[in-house]
Amino acid sequence: MSLVRCAAIVLLVALLSGCGDNLTPSGSDLRPALQPGSTGPAVGQSAPPFAVSDSSGATVTLTTALAGRKGIVLYCTMWCSSCEEQTAQLQSMAASFPEVGFYLVDYVSGTVTEAATAAVANGVTGAAVVTLADTEHALLNAFQGTMGTTVLVDAAGVVRMNEDFRDGARLRAMLGAPSQP
Amino acid sequence: MTNRNACRLAAALFLASLVSAWGGPGAARAASCCGSGSNTTLLVPKYATALADLSFDAESYHGFWNEKGRHTPDPAGADLNQYRLNLAAAYRFLPDWQFSLAVPYVWNDNRYSGLSSHTSGLGDTTVSVWYDLTDDQSPWRITSWRDLTPAVSLGVSLLLPTGYSPYDNVNSSFDVTGRGFYRLDGNLLVEKVIKHWDLTLSASYGSYFERWVNREYGKLVEPYRKELGDRTSLSASLGYGFPLGSGGDLLTATASYAYLAESEVSFDGRADPGSAFRKQSVAGMLSFSGADRDWSLRAGWRHDLRGSGWGRNFPSTDVLTVGVRYVFG
Repeated sequence: MSLVRCAAIVLLVALLSGCGDNLTPSGSDLRPALQPGSTGPAVGQSAPPFAVSDSSGATVTLTTALAGRKGIVLYCTMWCSSCEEQTAQLQSMAASFPEVGFYLVDYVSGTVTEAATAAVANGVTGAAVVTLADTEHALLNAFQGTMGTTVLVDAAGVVRMNEDFRDGARLRAMLGAPSQP
Repeated sequence: MTNRNACRLAAALFLASLVSAWGGPGAARAASCCGSGSNTTLLVPKYATALADLSFDAESYHGFWNEKGRHTPDPAGADLNQYRLNLAAAYRFLPDWQFSLAVPYVWNDNRYSGLSSHTSGLGDTTVSVWYDLTDDQSPWRITSWRDLTPAVSLGVSLLLPTGYSPYDNVNSSFDVTGRGFYRLDGNLLVEKVIKHWDLTLSASYGSYFERWVNREYGKLVEPYRKELGDRTSLSASLGYGFPLGSGGDLLTATASYAYLAESEVSFDGRADPGSAFRKQSVAGMLSFSGADRDWSLRAGWRHDLRGSGWGRNFPSTDVLTVGVRYVFG
């Protein structure tokens, strides 16, 4: 066996043995059981309290966001191509569910002014969807967010959904479900 | 496993069996020929038995096309980059058959006005098998129709998800160095050399394997199935070789155009209409090879056409590449 072929096989075996998660994906549900009444980002937990500025400089807290509403949706954006497409879907949903608050969590802008500028540049204007300037990453860390993370919190402050936006179908279904916000 | 996945896996295993059955030590060596290969493809020239290639890419991000094709800049203060060190080798195990392996190591270096991230890791690995359907005799003077015959190569590639994907135990999207999916590609390469000119056309069509997802960026979620959309890539390149002096050294300049598209992602079999993307790019490359044609050096630049309408739903980037290649005779 030539040296080149031998080296290629050794390298391939090393790669295959070191990258198990993607090479052999699992469909097992690994979500742990939750402590009743606990606070955290997982579905079924009480949402962590927060206080951040929106793009106009006003402070938004969990309590004020939920006041008089059936729930809120938090969506983490880094102003990317998929973020913009998904934001357009959120704007459409906001029109269909006026009793729910929709918030974009901008975790990449360093100031409120920059968050406001980015929002306008990406077509987020008006009051239906509000941009939050998460300059200290308080929301990002509290909900273990990253690009596309979508969190649904109901009127009682309980997390009902915390996952990637994907195609938006799951969020739409949860918003429309009678027992949900 | 769905029937579609089973079919693709069977095809990959069949190819693997071809490699093991026909790659014996007694495999004949290729006859000498003139095909030097294009600047960018990882193919062993007809006269050689193997090659090793080391290259470095510096990719910088410059905005994106939205779903309607409008180009939008990144947020103010953003400086987004990815660097890749690519190790690759190809081996001709029969006169008309070759095998190649390409492994990248990836550095992500992203800075926004309010966040900065520096991560690295192995990228996704590509394993390929190529068959030379016809050979280009590269005549200096065209005297018959036969002299116009191009080199035609058919290939199959399997992308292995060896990088960190969104479905690994990572913290954020900035940690990702791979896509997390297997993909099987069919490839076609047509190359014709006449005098100093080299025209190369390539096409590939790839299909991802559907997979289970039970974790997104480290967060455990209710399991679901996901499949990326089929991938099409087309490119055309034209090169011209400038002889340097009388010693046989050659400087080749190549200009190329490329089109890349992926169709819709699906979740549990349900297509996401907003997820398809496409983009178009142009590239230029210079390569230098000595008279022996064993060592070669190259440097190039690929530029995504940033105007609105040249892409959709995808970031636009520039890529600077430098590389060195050694061909074993």
